[in-house]
Amino acid sequence: MIKNIGKSILFMFILFLLIAGISCLLLPWRAVKKYGILYTANYPILSEEENTIDAVVVGDSLVYSGINPMVVWDKYGYTMYDCALAGQIPIISYETIQESINSQHPKVIFLESDVLFRNPKNIPIDTIKLWLTNRYIPIINYHDNWKKYLFNFLNNDKKFTKFDFYKGYHLIKKIKPAPKSRYNYMEYSKEYLPIVDENIEYFNKIVKLCEKNEVKLVLISIPNLKLWNYKKHNSISDLANKYNLEFIDFNLDNLLKINWQIDVKDGGGHLNFRGAYKVSDYLGNYLKDSGLVKDHRKDKKYQSWNESYKIYTS
Amino acid sequence: MTYFGIKYIFIFLPIVIILYSLMSKKLKPIILLCASLGLIFYISKWLIIYVLLSFLSIYLAGLLLQKIDSKRDLICEGKEREERKKIKGKYKRYKKIILIITIIFNVSFLFYFKYLGFFAKIANRLFVIFKINLSFEIVKFIAPIGISYYTLKAISYIVDVYNEKISAEKNILKVCLYLTFFPSIMEGPIARYTDVKDRIYAGNKVTYNNLCFGYQRILFGMFKKYVIADRLNIFVKLAFQNYMLYSGVTSLVGAIFYTIMLYMEFSGTMDVVIGSAEIFDIILPENFRQPFFSKNISEFWSRWHITLGTWLKDYIFYPVSLSKPVKMLTNFNKKVFGHRFASIIMGGIALFFVWSLNGLWHGAGLTFLFFGYYHFALIFLGNIFEPIIAKICEILNINRQNKIYVFFRIIKTTILVFIGELFFRAPRLLYGFGMIKKIVTDFNVAAFKNEVFALGMDIKDFAIVALALIFILVISILKEKGKNIREDISKKPIYVRWTLYYALILAIIVFGAYGAGYLPVDPIYVDF
Repeated sequence: MIKNIGKSILFMFILFLLIAGISCLLLPWRAVKKYGILYTANYPILSEEENTIDAVVVGDSLVYSGINPMVVWDKYGYTMYDCALAGQIPIISYETIQESINSQHPKVIFLESDVLFRNPKNIPIDTIKLWLTNRYIPIINYHDNWKKYLFNFLNNDKKFTKFDFYKGYHLIKKIKPAPKSRYNYMEYSKEYLPIVDENIEYFNKIVKLCEKNEVKLVLISIPNLKLWNYKKHNSISDLANKYNLEFIDFNLDNLLKINWQIDVKDGGGHLNFRGAYKVSDYLGNYLKDSGLVKDHRKDKKYQSWNESYKIYTS
Repeated sequence: MTYFGIKYIFIFLPIVIILYSLMSKKLKPIILLCASLGLIFYISKWLIIYVLLSFLSIYLAGLLLQKIDSKRDLICEGKEREERKKIKGKYKRYKKIILIITIIFNVSFLFYFKYLGFFAKIANRLFVIFKINLSFEIVKFIAPIGISYYTLKAISYIVDVYNEKISAEKNILKVCLYLTFFPSIMEGPIARYTDVKDRIYAGNKVTYNNLCFGYQRILFGMFKKYVIADRLNIFVKLAFQNYMLYSGVTSLVGAIFYTIMLYMEFSGTMDVVIGSAEIFDIILPENFRQPFFSKNISEFWSRWHITLGTWLKDYIFYPVSLSKPVKMLTNFNKKVFGHRFASIIMGGIALFFVWSLNGLWHGAGLTFLFFGYYHFALIFLGNIFEPIIAKICEILNINRQNKIYVFFRIIKTTILVFIGELFFRAPRLLYGFGMIKKIVTDFNVAAFKNEVFALGMDIKDFAIVALALIFILVISILKEKGKNIREDISKKPIYVRWTLYYALILAIIVFGAYGAGYLPVDPIYVDF
């Protein structure tokens, strides 16, 4: 009995070592060397060449379904990265922004403001599972990198970038129209939806962090007919005024002329690739007007972005 | 929850194993029963009532049949032969009434949940054709999990009690566990009561060996599903959905890939199911025996979904063949046309019932019915032509055991299987015919070269699938030669064994088609 238990423990220990070894091979080596396996896996942006990202978008599933960095690259030549996690809460947003600033020092950070309304004491089990997987079993998210490495070992590309050609975006082609009865979700209201103290505390930290590093923080609200409303708009507007930040509410007056019949994937909760195009184009144009970033499309340092775009469109 | 999901493999199963191991021998089966009912409730919620009604019906009917048998035997004691025959006949009628009521009771649930909509649709079409001003509302019901499987198990139990092949079980929990045993509730195998009765309620210990063997089998199943089936899924989906956009070669490759995917998914599930049961020292019957080494369609069906095939043979084929009208017809045919013709017709009638039900069992739809009749036609024609072909080979001095001849027979059977599965997967019957037409009239290899990488698989995906299939093929050849691979591996030194296990685990983790960009295959046989 004891012998069998000992054997089982040894088996699991060796397996753990093997998985760690394979993770090292499949994760971006340059980043692993600098940040370690778990860190690199948890923050995919670390896989990018340092200081090459112009703008970072932080938030929940609304971000990875609603903002397509490849559209921004194609139309404007700016590098953008989605650092999003389903059901993200402000503490994770803060950590993500911290890592993004440390490795990339972007010019602009867009924060999807719906995360501020999520109660950190009531996180969905799926979000916790995803977060734990990202954090402790990174190979699950990176296993497919064998396609790149197994066949390129002879090239010995020591940079080993993750080469995530979607740059954090999840391409969604599905269309599920929103019910017309929900079209009036932005009915005017004078009321406010309260934000819990813990979230305000982390928001405060995010603002200070951005100020300290001279990064422009912009609050955004991606079109979402299921969860957004005027009360939330009021609360975030108030917060933006208080901290002197810009707030772009795409929900207000249907700023982007979202077609709720074809631009959404699940009845209005998340955008599909059509809706994402509209938001991404707007943000690209916003960056252009800001004058903070420049077009890199012809810059040799950014060739991997052109390659990513080629794969993305193929 | 699916058998391949994290919830089942890493949470549900280990918890059941731990609880089972902690309990006394007497309480061990109770843990299995609670886990089984818990799983059904978790998936089907209050529809579990239908599962319990089925189980109660066969339990009570079984006891009643047994009671009638005992009473009959008591009365028959010391009676003359003629009188005994009379009494037996009388009691057989009572038994038959109970059997029929029990079967109708169980089948009615199956009909209600799975076929009502299908038959209502057909009736509505007929109403339109005959200009009758009537129409049924088509409602799609959510069926209790595993209804197609546990209903067949229930029928096999009650028919076997009726035929006195087995005694009715007095332990109510044992019958309940037989019907609802969690590893086999969703996708079979359709185990007979005699297959499992000795072990299912024995409460045997979870030994180190059983645990190792069980998890080995589960791992092998995961390999088939994650590395092969899931990787082929997107290609298959696109090839079938938009066949009109692609060349005939793509349709053909789509049909081949679908057959491989179906085999890997279903046999992989069986590995997980049988492996799970093995951990508790319960041996479930195998459902696959290297089906792609079959020399004809008949043989194929004795190697593919074996438990369904044997169920249909025992509870449909034989009863129909031995029924009074068929016997009368056979006798008539024997007198008029001779023995051979009579036996072909008799077999044909029974086969027709078997394949009608086989098709319908797989789903309420014309594609499934066609799938059934396609196989009926192949087997029926095979029965007719087999002696003729044998004669021709004899005249031409062809050795039918020759390896080349056997190889071509296997290839022929495999092609016929691909065609059958094409219709099985086609969303509509017309799609199936459309794809066949494409294959025949638009076999454009040049166009395929342009299409092949536009269906969700790149060269690396094809390479991994090919390597994995070679691995499965080697194992299949060894098994076909009678080697017990698991036994052989267990005799190897520890470093060899562990290297193999690590290789399998890492292959699943690294080469598995899961996560962003992949579309996992839904458990195909759960819906049947």
